[in-house]
Amino acid sequence: MQYTKIPEQLPVMEKLKILSDAAKYDVACTSSGTSRGNNGKGIGSCFEAGICHSFAADGRCISLLKILFTNECIFNCRYCLNRSSNDVPRATFTPDEICELVMGFYRRNYIEGLFLSSGILKSPDYTMELLYQTLYRLRTKYHFGGYIHVKAIPGADPVLIEKTGFLADRMSVNLELPTAEGLRKLAPAKTRDKILRPMRQVQNRMEENRQEIALYRSAPRFVPAGQSTQMIIGATPENDFQILSVAESLYQKFDLKRVFYSAFVRVNDDSALPALPGGPPLLREHRLYQADWLLRFYGFEAGELLSEDRPNFNMVFDPKCDWALRHLEFFPVEVNRASYQTLLRVPGIGVKSAQRIVKARRLGSLDFADLKKIGVVLKRALYFITCRGRTMYPVKIEEDYITRNLLYVKENLPPELRGEMTYRQLSLFDDGMPLSAEEQSILTVGESGPAAGFSRERRIL
Amino acid sequence: MTTVFLCEDSLDGILTGVYEAWGSRLGHENVRLKTDEADTMELFCQYQTVRTDMEKAEKVLRTVRRRMGEKAQEAVCYAAACPDERKADAIYRLIVLGMSMEDGRQAVNCLQNPSVLLVEKLRYKAWHEAERMLGFLRFQELSGGVLYAYMEPPYAVLPLIAPHFADRLLQENWIIHDGRRKQIAVHKRGSGWFLADAGLLNPVRIEERSESEAEFQALWKVFCRSIAIEERRNPTCQKNLLPLRFRPCMTEFQV
Repeated sequence: MQYTKIPEQLPVMEKLKILSDAAKYDVACTSSGTSRGNNGKGIGSCFEAGICHSFAADGRCISLLKILFTNECIFNCRYCLNRSSNDVPRATFTPDEICELVMGFYRRNYIEGLFLSSGILKSPDYTMELLYQTLYRLRTKYHFGGYIHVKAIPGADPVLIEKTGFLADRMSVNLELPTAEGLRKLAPAKTRDKILRPMRQVQNRMEENRQEIALYRSAPRFVPAGQSTQMIIGATPENDFQILSVAESLYQKFDLKRVFYSAFVRVNDDSALPALPGGPPLLREHRLYQADWLLRFYGFEAGELLSEDRPNFNMVFDPKCDWALRHLEFFPVEVNRASYQTLLRVPGIGVKSAQRIVKARRLGSLDFADLKKIGVVLKRALYFITCRGRTMYPVKIEEDYITRNLLYVKENLPPELRGEMTYRQLSLFDDGMPLSAEEQSILTVGESGPAAGFSRERRIL
Repeated sequence: MTTVFLCEDSLDGILTGVYEAWGSRLGHENVRLKTDEADTMELFCQYQTVRTDMEKAEKVLRTVRRRMGEKAQEAVCYAAACPDERKADAIYRLIVLGMSMEDGRQAVNCLQNPSVLLVEKLRYKAWHEAERMLGFLRFQELSGGVLYAYMEPPYAVLPLIAPHFADRLLQENWIIHDGRRKQIAVHKRGSGWFLADAGLLNPVRIEERSESEAEFQALWKVFCRSIAIEERRNPTCQKNLLPLRFRPCMTEFQV
């Protein structure tokens, strides 16, 4: 298909509009991972936790100036807005224009740094060279010390990638689609091997760089904030188990800092792409991020959360809750004695509250009131924990029972223990109705055994 | 009878109050600290107004640092920035506790003590607010090339965020203006920063913008609009992460 090339004299405003619009489907907009003060010559520093400077109308954070160098592309990936067969306005920045924009925005505290990606102009080498030029100018001529996230172009010369890596904070190569088969179908110009090669190169170089820095403290740093990648969710028929396994092996074998998931947005009318009448699969993306956190911070493995028989996430419960419900044999857990790793597996207890519990129980044993102060979400946790050998209320460790109660998300109390249900007026006509076990236990409150303890606790509440 | 020490609503004011209350020798349980806002007076109380004295405040802060450690110092500084009327007394109780302990560094960990818990909670709130302000502050370039930022934060975060910008924008002349407290932080190129009264500002000069300012503001607005994905539109999420109270001072939300 023919398209009219727009001349390079396009005003910067138009270019910014076109090239930020084209870059918006890239997910990673984090500025974390490096801590660096001003070098004394120029402008800029990095804040370890990253800083969000604004939030766009879709609720995503704006931390970096996220743009493409160019949206001209020789490839024709089916899912991409900038594929060569699409008739869209095309534009290309010059390195100096990007530098001026970054400096102007950074001085006004609009952004934390630059996120630079690009379509493939002429050849991967040529494009990578342009990205390198831009970064080089920004770092040396403009003395910019802020955060830079740059894409490594698959297929580019390794020397160029290495040189660029010494100027950037984070590098990423997009995996695009979770499996090689999906890639063949939707992005015929890219192969799995071509994508993984620069990823491996960056990983090896980072490893070498760590040793250089150990030897010479002032050695230049190579990609100090690590590398990341992203994949599109829902464009190809992979299930959650496959996606999560891919992410797990990327963390383990490629030492990635983050894997991002991007719910597929249908921007092209193409017969190879699925129709999504309900909009992008946002809940699925959310569940994948939750599982991703479980892999990185909670010591879970992909095989525990999902399996070949249950390859997709439960849409009602988060992955951890879902896991706990299927593994009730581990519960209840005694909060005052369980190991840190065990505590992390309880729904309602996160990394922070688990750390606080471990710290606080050195000074004395904990009760449910203390857990609440510590920040444990008791409405979820109460079915899975005991304090000093007691559960918070008399609960049953049964999948159906817990599922039913957890679906009452807004209530801490199991419904049958709420006031109006406990003291039901006796009717003359329900004589013959047999009482359920729960009702019997409620009616015997205050007599003896665990029920007596329960009534004491009620009064405290 | 209880004596209430009314101190100015600032870190120095509260620390001077701590100094005076301690030095009054009335006994810790007979004194209370309050920041002076127009408030209903209590019966059966004596009121004493504290005049802020930088030297006394400095002494107290130095002692806190030496006896109770850096963490306690940070907690006191951040808690004093909160708009909470209980903060002055809680800070006083924390310092009393710390001085009475053998190892004053443990005082901030005694979370079962309600005053310590309050100071810790306030510290977290102020820290969180300051961290958000690091991102949401917007500078504008004045005609002389000076960067000028205006904010109206409910928390007194100006002294907490100024060091960050002093490092980041080392080679710039900048002013951050806290309109609510009528305070400014001024930074001169290549050197340190200091706090001053907003009365020093020339109201005409801060209205003059440089030539490129309007262009960059327009570019930024275009960028913020085009970076959002229409199919994922979610104003509730945006409002949770960026509450409306910040928006009047942010370029991209100004018409």
